[in-house]
Amino acid sequence: MKRALAGWVVTIVVAAATVIAAGAQSRQSYAPPKTADGQPDLQGIWQVLNTSAAWNLEPHTASWGVPAGLGVIADPPDRMIPYQPAAMARKRENFQNRDAADPLAKCYKPGVPRLTYLPFPFQIVQSPQLVTIFYEYIHNYRTIHLNRATHLEGIDFWNGDSIGHWEGNTLVVDVANFNDETWFDRAGNFHSDALHVVERYTRTDANTITYEAAIEDPKVFTRPWKMSLPLVLHREPNFRLLEYECQAYAEDAAKESKK
Amino acid sequence: MRAFLVAIGMLLAAGPAVAHHSFTAEFDASKPLTQKGKVTRMDWVNPHSWVHFDVTTADGKVVNWGAETPPTNVLFRGGWKKDSLKIGDEIQVQGFAAKDGSPTMWASSVILVSSGQRILQMTPPAVVKEGNP
Amino acid sequence: MKHAMAMVSLAAVLVHPQLSSAAQAGQARRTTQTAQPPDLSGYWLGSYCVGLQNIETAKGVIVEPASGKIPYRPEMAAKAKDNTANHMADEPELHCFMSGVPHVMYVQFGFQIIQSRQSVAMAWDFMNAYRIIPTDGRPHIPAAIKLFQGDSVGRWEGTTLVVDTTNQNDRTWLDTTGNFHSDAIHVVERFTLADANTIRYEATIEDPNTFTGPWKVTETFRRIAKPDYEQLEFACVEGNRDLQHYTEQAGGTAKSQPR
Repeated sequence: MKRALAGWVVTIVVAAATVIAAGAQSRQSYAPPKTADGQPDLQGIWQVLNTSAAWNLEPHTASWGVPAGLGVIADPPDRMIPYQPAAMARKRENFQNRDAADPLAKCYKPGVPRLTYLPFPFQIVQSPQLVTIFYEYIHNYRTIHLNRATHLEGIDFWNGDSIGHWEGNTLVVDVANFNDETWFDRAGNFHSDALHVVERYTRTDANTITYEAAIEDPKVFTRPWKMSLPLVLHREPNFRLLEYECQAYAEDAAKESKK
Repeated sequence: MRAFLVAIGMLLAAGPAVAHHSFTAEFDASKPLTQKGKVTRMDWVNPHSWVHFDVTTADGKVVNWGAETPPTNVLFRGGWKKDSLKIGDEIQVQGFAAKDGSPTMWASSVILVSSGQRILQMTPPAVVKEGNP
Repeated sequence: MKHAMAMVSLAAVLVHPQLSSAAQAGQARRTTQTAQPPDLSGYWLGSYCVGLQNIETAKGVIVEPASGKIPYRPEMAAKAKDNTANHMADEPELHCFMSGVPHVMYVQFGFQIIQSRQSVAMAWDFMNAYRIIPTDGRPHIPAAIKLFQGDSVGRWEGTTLVVDTTNQNDRTWLDTTGNFHSDAIHVVERFTLADANTIRYEATIEDPNTFTGPWKVTETFRRIAKPDYEQLEFACVEGNRDLQHYTEQAGGTAKSQPR
């Protein structure tokens, strides 16, 4: 009991000093709370408010079932993905065949960053050596390793291999070791196995993480490009992840159509 | 000690170490066999990977065999990487024959003939020894 | 003086690990805890490194009843044998379904526990499955929602994590042979840290539609020794040829095509 009290006293003394400093800072920027081991706290259940990025990252008109979008690409300034000429032809072909050819139509893993802007919530959990993100969408989860500086060799993944480090209040996640099977959206925007993604997660107020993903793929694009979206905290009481088990529903639908 | 014993038990088991639905449906535990041939293709996938290899029979015919392996996680942890096998590498595969008589088998063991290295390792991760605080 | 006191209490709120902004909403209903619960975090391996083929013959799993047999209702007893003989095409793992509770605690390749103040998360390599067990005293989700892994709520009883799971669907099996349950299944699990490297596990299973009474299973998890052990992604649907094999045998066409 005495130790707990002493701990509290130390905490309050340190906290007072921190707050006096932070008080000056908070007038300019938001300082997120910290986890037990001192990481900026990103924990909670988040989801993008944006309804159009999952359909098409680029600016687009609406169509049946598809909302219009201003585009989520922050660079280049025209918000269009900078394809190499041969790759652009393949993107157009993907778009033509998108309803059947989209890997999500087969209940495959969405890849990164597509997992982030699907219309499903995800939960960020932090521990000293890992940040784990649990996605409701087909129970995907990603492990972001804070204690490893290099990517694994000799293996690739649908959702890539993620290594992370903190730059101030920003979690920077370097993702590599992708296969070439995923798309960025339903519109057929795609990549090769040379894909390299750098994500940045910054909690910019109590209810918002500003999310940015920088995309590089020298086999497909003429230059690197970047997208940016806000992630919004779910504050409904007792909110929790449920399940979206695509494969089960696909089988159910197939059985129904045979009746 | 316990983990070591468990590992040995798995290696000596008559059936495959990962015994579940797909094995019992597709393969025959009473038909062990060994095949040797040159790699033509490796499908690095889950839940089971496949390695395809050309086997030259006694009468000179070439038959393409397929061997089903445990998941990629198990392969990787045992030292079998995605690029460990090149097309043309000679491998020796020990396992069990398919029930339907096709040139298909379950792989319990895969040896890269040029180096003698056993690339398929089915040992589970070691656990902290009992009695260690 | 008043200003300083306000600053100090604000500081305590910001810095104390319990009270991140995401958790403040839940603070009022958090159960009182006089002692810190033990930390179950880490990587763990059960005794069944080949998965759970037959829950009745797997040594030491069923401890009650003493017979080691599942107490099926008389009219249900034949169904398990029928599953094994005639319905292996329905085996859930073949369809890349998650395993349900308590079967998931016996699957191969080990699992991870990530414990935080508000929840205990568990993540498996196998099927890329996870469970998130809130320990903030919330009620179960509405009965109309059925999930493969069910809805789990947890509480600490001294050094034991007690987890109550409802809302499971009837699409999972208790093992890979065909022992089954209905969607009325209710499971109470107890996780006890017996020593720094051992978790003793016990689960009581009830299902008035299927069993004559509750029955009990146990397991022991040992901590994985490798200090830099990591989980790896497990994509299932994407490369699943086994399902096609089965559905072709059964005369159907596979919804999921092999790559």
